[in-house]
Amino acid sequence: MILNYIKIAWKVLLRHPFYTFITLFGISITLTVLMVVTSFMDHLLGVHYPEGNRDRSLFVTSVVQKDTTRSSRSSSPMSVRFIQTYLKTMQTPERVGMTSMFTFANAYVNGKRIKLFTKYTDADFWRVCTFEFLDGKPFAEQQIKTGDQVVVITDDFQKQYFEDDGKTVIGREVEIEGLRYRVIGVVKGSPATRPYSYADVYFPYTVPKSNYERGNMRGNFIAILMAKDKSELTTMQSEFQQAMSRIPQSGTEYGSKYTNFTIKAEGYADQYMTSFFGDDDSRRVFFFTAVAIILLMFMGLPALNLVNVNVGRMMERASEIGVRKAFGAPAKTLLYQFIVENIFITFIGGSLALVFSFVIIQLINNSGWIAYADLAINPTVFLVSLAVCFLFGLLSGVLPAFRMSKLKIVDALKS
Amino acid sequence: MLRHFFTLIWNKRKTHALLIVEIWASFLVLFGVLTFLLSNLRNYREPIGFSYEQVWSMELTNNQDTTDVPAKVESILRRIRAYPEVESASRMSSNTPFTMNNMNNSVSYQNASTLAEFYRTDESLYRTLDITMQKGRWFGPQDRSARYTPLVINQKLQEKLFPGENPIGKTIKKDDTHFWKVVGVVETFKGKGEYMNNTPAIFEPLTEKDWDMSILIKTRPGTDATFEANLVKDVLAMVRNWGAEVTYLTESRKTQHNLTLVPVIIFGIISTFLLINVGLGLFGVLNLNIARRRGEIGLRRAMGATERSISLQFLGEIWVLASFSILLGLLFAVQFPLLHVFDMDAGIYLLAMAVAVVVIYLIVTLCAWYPSRQASLIAPAVALHED
Repeated sequence: MILNYIKIAWKVLLRHPFYTFITLFGISITLTVLMVVTSFMDHLLGVHYPEGNRDRSLFVTSVVQKDTTRSSRSSSPMSVRFIQTYLKTMQTPERVGMTSMFTFANAYVNGKRIKLFTKYTDADFWRVCTFEFLDGKPFAEQQIKTGDQVVVITDDFQKQYFEDDGKTVIGREVEIEGLRYRVIGVVKGSPATRPYSYADVYFPYTVPKSNYERGNMRGNFIAILMAKDKSELTTMQSEFQQAMSRIPQSGTEYGSKYTNFTIKAEGYADQYMTSFFGDDDSRRVFFFTAVAIILLMFMGLPALNLVNVNVGRMMERASEIGVRKAFGAPAKTLLYQFIVENIFITFIGGSLALVFSFVIIQLINNSGWIAYADLAINPTVFLVSLAVCFLFGLLSGVLPAFRMSKLKIVDALKS
Repeated sequence: MLRHFFTLIWNKRKTHALLIVEIWASFLVLFGVLTFLLSNLRNYREPIGFSYEQVWSMELTNNQDTTDVPAKVESILRRIRAYPEVESASRMSSNTPFTMNNMNNSVSYQNASTLAEFYRTDESLYRTLDITMQKGRWFGPQDRSARYTPLVINQKLQEKLFPGENPIGKTIKKDDTHFWKVVGVVETFKGKGEYMNNTPAIFEPLTEKDWDMSILIKTRPGTDATFEANLVKDVLAMVRNWGAEVTYLTESRKTQHNLTLVPVIIFGIISTFLLINVGLGLFGVLNLNIARRRGEIGLRRAMGATERSISLQFLGEIWVLASFSILLGLLFAVQFPLLHVFDMDAGIYLLAMAVAVVVIYLIVTLCAWYPSRQASLIAPAVALHED
């Protein structure tokens, strides 16, 4: 029976290729846009290499110091001293990783310049992140204590600096800004969209030029608190709050006074929003309203279009419904047929969308627009948006058809 | 004629409601995207005000070394100027062209006050970046012993603080004891690249106490990375444990542009597809409508209506429909300039509205053209023939 309905559906589609094209175009383009956008969001906010423990981590990324008398405000990452005194001593986290932010350097090799993002990290950073070591190993506590001039590099930097001569690079030296470092590990690089783990070279934080002794509270380091598992996040959060409440609210930093400070430990998505909007909730609300309106517009238009075309076409089917009713088909069977038909066309549109989004995502991944991009199709989003398309098809195609199936046979046949 | 169209449309208002909503929504989407596009385009057309080819920027970091920093930076600058490959070099605050850094401060003169970008720099910046002076001159050695700190402003700031006056020689209050004196006006200076708004800018001279550690270096044509490597090596040999990072302004300009262009391109592509989608849908609906109104067309033809008047009727109907939707859309769109929703010129909004109106009429006409042409070709004998 189903096969029969599909055959009918196929014939209906072929009868007016132009309308079929309109419907498919609408469904597939809308779905494609939705899928690419969500896969990009997932790329930004989901759990991915090398931050494979994001879902059980809290990020402490900045401290804000305010002076209420002079209405001044300074915000920056934290100092190593602060992290070691207050965060590393916490009980709940399994590990507390620490890394510097926004440091850069250049390396020169054979008359060519290589631009480098650098990170100064501690040993726990390698345990909090899930880097894949292609060669060698990360630096350990001992090497940090003795201030060894060692470095972990990415495969990309290895290729550029050593120009792929096939030999292992472990134990060889790289010269960066006039200092020589011994390579002890090579990791698979991460995309630049992950600011807490992305870099080309990773140094122990005790090497010269890391400035790790600077600052009481503000400095250039962020901390990642990793819980043993997800369920302990709330415990960790409350321990963090307690630890922070014990620190005196006022003090001096870089020669200027502050009267109070705020610091937050947040999940990755939350801190991502904070880094964009600050503490200002109204800006966040405004942004989300704007995004919601834009999305509603972009998604609503094709839906409206689908409804418009479908409603218009229903009249065509009147005589068909009349004939089927005259030969004794009950309303239920007719409804069933239209639903199958609708699923069929949504399915075709969905498969097209899948192909399109796959192609676009591959294009983005290979364009080099984001190095190491790892965008992928999110199956949940795909299914949900397919269901939404189906719902619209149902509302626009099946509902009028169902109403028409209630028509008297004479009326239906007359037109 | 027009009244007749209105009656026709009013009689079928229920069937047309969805169409109206669709055109209305397309108008709003188009208006939004065009505003975004046009504001960037207008910024792009304004000159950037300086030249960046062959210019490198060197970012120094002193790290743990905190003794005599300003003097060390000065000696590095003197060393850089001594190279034959270097045409001109200037020290500057960290908000060098095409970086993300900002240094905003408010300045006031009499009753006028505005926010301006402050660039602390030296006496040769205008040569390093080829900045053209509109009035007056750049600050120079003759200002060193002057009572007031000399200042160069851009034309935008002149418009804000000194409307209709000649700003040269005017003094601006810095704080209770310090005054600035304007010595020159430059045309535009858009430090964040072509797509940036032309905003007020102020150049003030560096003092011996300033720690600003960015150096802009204009190199002679043909200079390459080999010189760059030597330069960095020499500089780092002068100051132990400092950092020196060189970027080309042409590179950082590209990065800045991508920040603006990528969203523009993405929105552009998505809305193009949306409009194609809407156009196709409109075409389909009109086609169906006409197929249903064959009888009516046949009757009109039989009564002596010409082919032209038939196709004009259908085009007219869709125009009335579109006008109605656009009117609704304009009611929404006009709120943006009235309420100053975003900090944007009213002119941009108006232009975006005008272009959106034209594009909508164009799409609607294009979609209605073929169906109305088909309608006009219906022969009355065939249309009125009843089986």
